[in-house]
Amino acid sequence: MSYLSLENVVKTFNKTEVVKKLSLEIHKGELVSFLGPSGCGKTTTLNMIAGFLEVDGGKIEVDGKPVHLLPPNKREMGMVFQNYALFPHMTVYENVAYGLKLRKVAKSEIKIRVQEALEMVRLSGYEKRYPKELSGGQQQRVSLARALVIKPKVLLLDEPLSNLDAKLRQEMREEIVDIQKKVGITTIFVTHDQEEALAISDRIAVMYEGRIEQVDTPAAIYNYPKTDFVSQFIGEVNHIQGKVLEAYSDKRCKMHFFGNEQIVAIQSVKDSEVHFFIRPEKVQISLGKSNESKEAFLSKVERKMFLGAKTRYILRANDQHLVADISNTVLNPNQIQEGNNVYTFWNPEDLLPSRMVR
Amino acid sequence: MKKKLPKLLFNSVCLLVYTFLLAPIVVVLLSSLTTTEYIVFPPKGLTLRWYTELVDHPEFMQSFTLSILVAFGTAFIATAIGTLASLAVVRREFRGKTAIVQLVGSPLLIPSVVFGVALLQFYSWIGLAASPLALVLGHIILTVPFVMRLVVASLVGFDRSIEQAAMNLGAGSWKVFFQITLPIIKSGVIAGAIFAFITSFDDLTVALFIVSTDVVTLPVRIYTYMQYQYDPIITSVSSIMILFTVALMLVIERVLGVGKVFSSKN
Repeated sequence: MSYLSLENVVKTFNKTEVVKKLSLEIHKGELVSFLGPSGCGKTTTLNMIAGFLEVDGGKIEVDGKPVHLLPPNKREMGMVFQNYALFPHMTVYENVAYGLKLRKVAKSEIKIRVQEALEMVRLSGYEKRYPKELSGGQQQRVSLARALVIKPKVLLLDEPLSNLDAKLRQEMREEIVDIQKKVGITTIFVTHDQEEALAISDRIAVMYEGRIEQVDTPAAIYNYPKTDFVSQFIGEVNHIQGKVLEAYSDKRCKMHFFGNEQIVAIQSVKDSEVHFFIRPEKVQISLGKSNESKEAFLSKVERKMFLGAKTRYILRANDQHLVADISNTVLNPNQIQEGNNVYTFWNPEDLLPSRMVR
Repeated sequence: MKKKLPKLLFNSVCLLVYTFLLAPIVVVLLSSLTTTEYIVFPPKGLTLRWYTELVDHPEFMQSFTLSILVAFGTAFIATAIGTLASLAVVRREFRGKTAIVQLVGSPLLIPSVVFGVALLQFYSWIGLAASPLALVLGHIILTVPFVMRLVVASLVGFDRSIEQAAMNLGAGSWKVFFQITLPIIKSGVIAGAIFAFITSFDDLTVALFIVSTDVVTLPVRIYTYMQYQYDPIITSVSSIMILFTVALMLVIERVLGVGKVFSSKN
């Protein structure tokens, strides 16, 4: 049973549909990320869930009850904003207590609950400070406490980490997931940072031009992208173009690329051009030919870039470029110099066929 | 040595500016203490006679009360109108917005004599007699632009997600306005109210055209009195006006801090 459901939700700005019949089911306690480039409609969708924007079509239900016609103050949702949006004229305590005061909770209970919430975000002792006296990370934790203290039905996080520096961002995202799992709250996390989404989500909804391209677990999104957009947006990819030499009846084809022949599981017809993607870390290279690399082809190392744990090799074969990321523990980068010829190969199942017709 | 000269220059310029600004006030305050029958500076001898003599001139006290009432009414209404208008101008897009902004701001550009004449014509046309209400209405037109200037400044850069956060936590639009928006732009609103109060309390040119024999504001009273007599009562009344304004500023400073009121930061 889904807890939060979006059904054919539409949003139009100036006659342009920015969210196009979007449907999504989210289970209770699940953390789902909306991931996509800017302008994909992820924040618009979040604002419709929160009630800051009206839906122009479709419906939104929480726990089986429609909420899309309710004003934002009646939706019982907790939201954390990108720029924290703390009340500057209130102390940390007053900020967190605000939602409870509006709910006319008894003063003594407010005190207990605010204390609990601040403890949860590790900010006990900061009650009397004003927001401007806190660092960005601390402000965002206050914002999280303020949203959670009212025990909302859904937690909405709008790019909550993008104003923090890289190191703090990682710490904060782990903290957010810890708290989210502890509280067990259904959560939507909007981000444009794929690493963030991959790291914390139960499921990711990849969005593009107002549509959800794919909803899946992080591993499935990364390893089995269903659309070209997803494969290109998540992680890096090499584009490979090849020609079908022979099409077999068992949905396999003998392909020709980089001056080499390879049998790939794909349905196509003889002589057609087929596009593939392969992730740089799935491309393997070796100096000598081995058992592993019996289908290998030779390519020339054009550039070598040391990236710490791995080394990136820009390869050229048969006038096509190929990027390979090789772990430095697998292959010592000192063994290979720019200009060397190396054997290049991959597991055929790591080739992702493109659905795009060119 | 090299750095000392510019600093000396800077300090002397500051001193000059302050002297120039404050000297007239000091002159008025001191001349009100003179024992002579005419206004003179520096005062000859020291006495509070010209203050006690005000008791024989109840018309000054009447005008003083009237001026304060008019200034309070003006400040209150102009601040309400100016604040709401600022919200509309900053946050909404509507047809003719620029025209309205220019129109509302125009009293700042029109000479107040012209504005006074226009008001006189207009009031006689609609049949509005000289009254505190007529004064308040005129002063509202005069002061709304000040309020708007200050409130608009405090609204620029206002992060509206703060209001969304309040709504999200369960606040309706009234609560959002009074508990969140207004406290955040408070400094601009209060500064606007002070400006409106002082502008109204101070106004001579516009009031000259509206007053009648029984509705006379303090600046007009001083002005007309001076046309016939030139005794130090004028300076004692003026001194009271100055001291009143200073006292007002001190109270506000105590309650809010003038630094806070006149800075755009929260």
